[in-house]
Amino acid sequence: MTGSHTHPNTLDVMQLGIALPNGHRLLRDVSLSLRPGEVRALVGESGAGKSMIGKAVLGILPQNLRVTGGEILLEGQHLGAMTPWTRRKTVAQSAALIPQDPLTALNPARRIGPQITDPLVRIHGWSRAKARDTALALLDRVHIRDPKRVMESYPHELSGGMRQRVLIAAAFAPSPRLIVADEPTTALDVTVQKQILRLIRELQQETGTAVLFVTHDMGVVAKISQKVTVLFAGKVMEDAPTERIFTDPAHPYTRALIAATPSYADLDRPFSPVPQTLIAELQGAIARDDARHQGAAR
Amino acid sequence: MTAQTQTRTTASEAVAPAPSLFSVRDLRLSFPDLARKPLLGAAPRNEVLKGLSFDIPAGQITGIVGESGSGKSTAGRVLVRLLEPDSGSVLYEGRDIGHLDESALRPLRRDLQMIFQDPMSSLNPRHKVWRIIAQPMKRYGLGGTRADAIAALGKVGLPAAFAERYPHELSGGQRQRVGIARAIALKPRFILADEIVSGLDVSSQAQVLLLLKQLAREMGLTIAFISHDLSVIRHLCDRVIVLNRGEIVEQGSVDAVFRAPASDVTRTLLTAIPLPELDPDWLS
Repeated sequence: MTGSHTHPNTLDVMQLGIALPNGHRLLRDVSLSLRPGEVRALVGESGAGKSMIGKAVLGILPQNLRVTGGEILLEGQHLGAMTPWTRRKTVAQSAALIPQDPLTALNPARRIGPQITDPLVRIHGWSRAKARDTALALLDRVHIRDPKRVMESYPHELSGGMRQRVLIAAAFAPSPRLIVADEPTTALDVTVQKQILRLIRELQQETGTAVLFVTHDMGVVAKISQKVTVLFAGKVMEDAPTERIFTDPAHPYTRALIAATPSYADLDRPFSPVPQTLIAELQGAIARDDARHQGAAR
Repeated sequence: MTAQTQTRTTASEAVAPAPSLFSVRDLRLSFPDLARKPLLGAAPRNEVLKGLSFDIPAGQITGIVGESGSGKSTAGRVLVRLLEPDSGSVLYEGRDIGHLDESALRPLRRDLQMIFQDPMSSLNPRHKVWRIIAQPMKRYGLGGTRADAIAALGKVGLPAAFAERYPHELSGGQRQRVGIARAIALKPRFILADEIVSGLDVSSQAQVLLLLKQLAREMGLTIAFISHDLSVIRHLCDRVIVLNRGEIVEQGSVDAVFRAPASDVTRTLLTAIPLPELDPDWLS
């Protein structure tokens, strides 16, 4: 909290670069920022590196990846300058994750209750009673009908939509300043998706939590976010307010992503894949960039 | 009950009604609910399909839409006879295939193909792509050489080099195209496509859908396309069947159903789709 008065942004990612051990670049100088209470969509096709940015912020990148450059600031604090222990503590206290697949994110052998309350007790130092009361209140808030019974349930006893509600409750429980939502509705069908998006929106507005929302669905982007970062091959193609993305997109790749999204309401605009020529052009530019980058490094 | 009473017919269909490849009447199916089984005696049964009547017109793409648990996949699996109905008739080209045994079904297996939602679990991870495509061809005496497999790959827009790859070396969209290649290599009459684009990102989704539409036209295929996304169905399908809790709540040509949806279920499914356009009130 101390940083929020002196620094306006919840999150600043500056010139972040990530590479494989063989030097292959996965993220290329990615910069983005998130103000308190803001939802920023991170959109792109699979392999664009959108989940990786969220993972880098939370410090849960796969072991084999190297951060090659850049800075991540959480509420103005340089995460890179911290010891691993301090960093983990700082991130755990002010950021949370809503994962894509609620089944793999929950331990199948443990009841729901302790899976929500344990982090509140261990990381945030709450009493068991306070953690339990908060969990019950939040489960009720995410429209789970019988919170006490759900706390006693195992993950396999709940539907996909219910599990995702549980994880949303768990993410919001410690009142984090930042939530990374990593494709939280991709595994759900459309009616449940709408309920989940509405919940995230409501809770986020009530608590003023900033959300980094990773998705590949331009429809979801249009509905949930205020700002958008469009990624291709680990490089930012466009960064703009959501309104501008859908009224006057600047980058051809942004336009292609919108054109690839089918809409039942607009039959005059037949949807089409991102053109191969555009992909080749963008990849060419990135390859030239990489060559220059390597030249400079030498 | 005839199909006509439930079905809204458009003007063009009234002029030249497409003959039905499938004609399903009062289809019922239930599964035993083992969670509620008493220690002794039979488990109570969960009714999954509660008297469905519909036609799948030959040469057309029929969308089957509904929320999870509506019975859309179950209905599809009865059509390709992976499941046997409790009662009702499933006429395929006028012949009831609902209760045929496995040996009687064998000649039909080639005609009725299926593409699955998750190609990672439906493509053998130990086999190279060409073998995945060629094996069933060999089984049905349709060749089955490497060259045959490469020809099938060509039809789905994958270069010959893909024949030597393993499923894990492909992207999601490429894997789904291998699934399509395997199905069409058998020259089937009918393909059941069960949520085949729900795991793909938008550009791959568009590629797979356009491919399916083109192949259906070129090969005169009949397709049942199961999805929960009405935007996809609107662009791909000729007809649509809307399911809710094991019952048909609406069916007809996509033009008619989308112009004036008659059921609340259809309207709910429509308004749940996040369209790629600004609408500040959508989430409130």
